[in-house]
Amino acid sequence: MVRCTCVEAAWIAGLRRGDASAFDRVFTAYRRRLYAYLARMTRRRDVAEDLLQETFLRLAQHARRLDADTRLGAWLFTVAHRLVVSWARAQAVRAQLAGDLPLRESPHDARSPLEALADSQVQLALERAFAQLAPAYREVALLVGVEGMQPTEVAQILGQKPEAVRQRLARARIQLAEALGEHCPAAWRTHDDRR
Amino acid sequence: MTIDDDAEAFAALSKELPAIDVDSTTAEMIARRARQDLGKGPSLRRWILPITAGVATASYAVWTIMKLIEVLG
Repeated sequence: MVRCTCVEAAWIAGLRRGDASAFDRVFTAYRRRLYAYLARMTRRRDVAEDLLQETFLRLAQHARRLDADTRLGAWLFTVAHRLVVSWARAQAVRAQLAGDLPLRESPHDARSPLEALADSQVQLALERAFAQLAPAYREVALLVGVEGMQPTEVAQILGQKPEAVRQRLARARIQLAEALGEHCPAAWRTHDDRR
Repeated sequence: MTIDDDAEAFAALSKELPAIDVDSTTAEMIARRARQDLGKGPSLRRWILPITAGVATASYAVWTIMKLIEVLG
């Protein structure tokens, strides 16, 4: 098991004491990463803000009960993942009750708020390609690729077996290469051709 | 291809993703709201529904047992 860093250990000690400055440090360290994950999973900034608030509310409420060796990143992303799952379920139920089709991603010819942040065609293509990934694949791609987490850690966060994470990552790579089309890096195209 | 190859490929590509962040006003609002709950524990309101459901179920079970005793007795 990966041990938490010394800095995180100090933050956790502070959180367990109810120290607001320790909370602020954790918030500063993780807010951007969590928000990016939530925004790319929900594809909505307003929902991502709500879920970000809920994630940190839960951290604040559980602060005194955290174990000394808690890995904060994994703890926070586990909460965020569960919130995304609950939100997606609620969305599906709402769509069903409305007799509507499930919510779809933005059409290709319109820029979503996330895509509007892209500075270049490559960034735009990449953001769209990530959006086209099935949520289960997108999540693994974001946690391993963007967050740099180990597959075993991601497996714990998602409550999956490491083998399932490995398969999802491999499939995400194939899907992403297809979605990227001409913007796909040469190394990826070669990889895809070999399969 | 190993999982490390896939992870490295994603890591390299992900550097191209545009940076996303919550605006500072909203971030401060979220932090302030969460700070208020620091160390307080989960809100008692979350227990209202399970307790209500539990009391209702228990009452119905007691009523059923009493009715059964009444009929059989």
